[in-house]
Order: sequence, then C-alpha cells, then structure tokens
Amino acid sequence: MFKNVCLAFALSGALAAGPCLSHAKLQSSTPADSAQLTQAPKTLTLNFSEAAQLARLVVVGDGKEISIPIDKTAKASQSFTLPLPGLVPGKYTVQWTAVAADDGHVTKGTFSFSIAG
Amino acid sequence: MEPVSGWDIAALLAKAVTYAATLSAAGCVFFVAYSDDLLQNPERSRIRRLLGASLAAAAIASAATTLLLAASMGGDLASMFDSTYIGMLLRAGQGRATAIRFAGLICALFALSTTRRFQAPAIIGAILAATSFAWVGHIHALRPNSLPTFVLCLHLLAVAFWLGALAPLLIVTRAANGARVGAIAARFGTAALGVVAALIAAGAVLLWLLIDDAARFWSSDYGWLLAGKLATVAVLLSIAALNKLNLTPRLLRGDVSAVGSLKRSITAEMVLGGTVLLITAAFTTITGPPH
Repeated sequence: MFKNVCLAFALSGALAAGPCLSHAKLQSSTPADSAQLTQAPKTLTLNFSEAAQLARLVVVGDGKEISIPIDKTAKASQSFTLPLPGLVPGKYTVQWTAVAADDGHVTKGTFSFSIAG
Repeated sequence: MEPVSGWDIAALLAKAVTYAATLSAAGCVFFVAYSDDLLQNPERSRIRRLLGASLAAAAIASAATTLLLAASMGGDLASMFDSTYIGMLLRAGQGRATAIRFAGLICALFALSTTRRFQAPAIIGAILAATSFAWVGHIHALRPNSLPTFVLCLHLLAVAFWLGALAPLLIVTRAANGARVGAIAARFGTAALGVVAALIAAGAVLLWLLIDDAARFWSSDYGWLLAGKLATVAVLLSIAALNKLNLTPRLLRGDVSAVGSLKRSITAEMVLGGTVLLITAAFTTITGPPH
C-alpha cells in the first residue's frame, strides 16, 4: 500500500511538472539584432526567455567599449530597459551577460545594430 | 551555443573536478560503510587518505567554480573577486548548493576517524555532499520542482555509490588477495545492481521532464552533449556488467589472473566516469535545454 502511494505521488508529481525552461536566453531586443537605424536610440531594451539578473552590458562601437550602468542588486526580471548615452552614426555591438533566477546559470550573448550617418 | 571564453572553460573544468571529488568522497564513505568487515587496516588507511584528498579537492574546486563563474561573467580576472557578481551567483542557487556541499563535506570528515561510531554522521555528510548538486541547475526552472529535485538526488546518490566506489575498489585490487577482492567486488556488485537500476530510472525520468520537443531537443547542442553522455554511460554499463558476470565469479573461484583484468577494467571505468562528469559539467555550464 505504502509503495503504491509513493508511486502515485511520484507519477503525479512528474506529470504535474511544468513545461521545461532553461538558461535565460535573449528573445528580443530594441534595437533588434542587425537593425539599421536612422536615429540614435535613446534606450536599449532586452527581453529574456525567463527572469534573470543582468550582470554586464557593454556597447562596443568603433573599437571603444561603452559600459552601460546597471543595477546589479535589482530583482530578477524578464525585461530590462536601460538609457543609452548619445551614440554617433556607426556600427555597434551589444555584449550582455545574465544570470537566470531559477537555474542559476550564466548566459552571454551579443547582437549588433547600426546607425546611418 | 553561447560564446565560450577561457573563463567558461576554466569554470567548466573546476565544476567537473568538484563533481568528481565530491562524488569520490561520498563514494569512499559508502564503500567503507558496506565493506568494512572485509577490509584490512592498510586498505582502510589508504581509503581514508583518498577520502581526505577528495574532501580537500571538493572544497577547493567548489570555491574555485564560483570564483571562475564570476570571472566568466565579467570577462576578466578582477571580476573573480567582484562581490556583486559572486552575490548574484550565490543568490541564484549556487550559494544554497555550495552551503549544503560544504556542510556535507565537513560531516564526511568524521569518516577519517578510525572509530566506527562516527560512521552515521559521515554517511549523512556524504548524502548531503553528493546531493548538493541538485540544489542548482536546469531542473529548478521546472514548475513544480520538488519531484525533479528528489529524482536528481536519487540519481546523484546512485552515481556517488557507483563511480565513488571505483577508486577504493582499485586500492583493494592492489592490496588484497584474489579471493578477498572477489568477495568485496561481489558485495559491491550485489548492491550496485539495485543502485544502477535506480540511477537509470532516475535519469530516464529527468530526461523525460527536460524534453519538451524531442526533435528540437536532440538536434540542440544540449541534446548532442547528452547523447554523448548516454553513449559513454552505455559503454560504462557494459564494462560494469563484464566485471559482475565474468571477473567477479572468476575471482571468487580463486582465479588470480582476474585481479589484473579487474584493475584494467576499473581503470577504464574511472576514465569513462571522468568523461561522463566532464560532459555533464559542459552541458550544465555552457549550454541549456532548448525551449
């Protein structure tokens, strides 16, 4: 009887487990990857697949790194919008690092956008 | 796959060493608990030395993993000691897992004593240390995650029992005569039957929970690494079956030539076990199951 109860508990728990999520992955951004803009963006928005803490955000343009200040003590979130400094026309690469709130894994990525002169 | 830096590789290697050393320490404690009456003092003291080295390596590698992950986050050496990065990691589950592991490793220190009355706290410590890896990782993104955590704990205990017994078994093959090696291998083999069955069943349940879309899963980097792990485990199981069905009966019949074969077989198992842990460290560090 006890074994059957344990088995039923185990199976019901397994069946009730929700859909599988994983590392926090960047789902979309504004500016989007490979976007060609006519005006310099005032903000940068990152949307992740799950709640995460943003650990590092750097915009690289013309070989120079522009570190974007982030609140590393803020609560985990799926979306982050951060103000950008004035960007001159050119090509920019955004490098981000995040820590997933649920699984504790570190994820990184890059994407690019350009501003026409 | 995400961009991989030198810091990521270093963190991955430190994590693999943490797995190997922690599971080895737990395995030593379990091994002594079920085979103590068959062991002699020189073997006991060699196993205790192995346990001491494993405990130290587990503690150092565990701390190094957190520091290297912090360095990986910031991309430079200074980030290794950046309290905000370390704080983020510790708050996201790494802290809970590391605290449980250290508590377990400290309790497992009791097994270094020659007194058997300290065996119970040492076994509790070994269980805590081995299962500490279940408190961080992909399964914590499942809702609810209590059953997956329990199943992963079972999986880890079985791995510690099996892979953690290999080094003590190798020590025994170097010191004991054929019949005694046979008796110890037979006792391990009897217990391992149920343990390996639990390990496979728990692994299958975890796999089922992690796979959302089978076609996407197996074509992802995570799926490829997992397939590599499963293939290596299949070879490992074949060698373990050979040990149980062929070498152990030969040892029990007094065939001393089987001792050499068992040594080679255990060494091969240790290499394959290390490979499995390295692959596991890779798919828990640089990639994740696809959505």
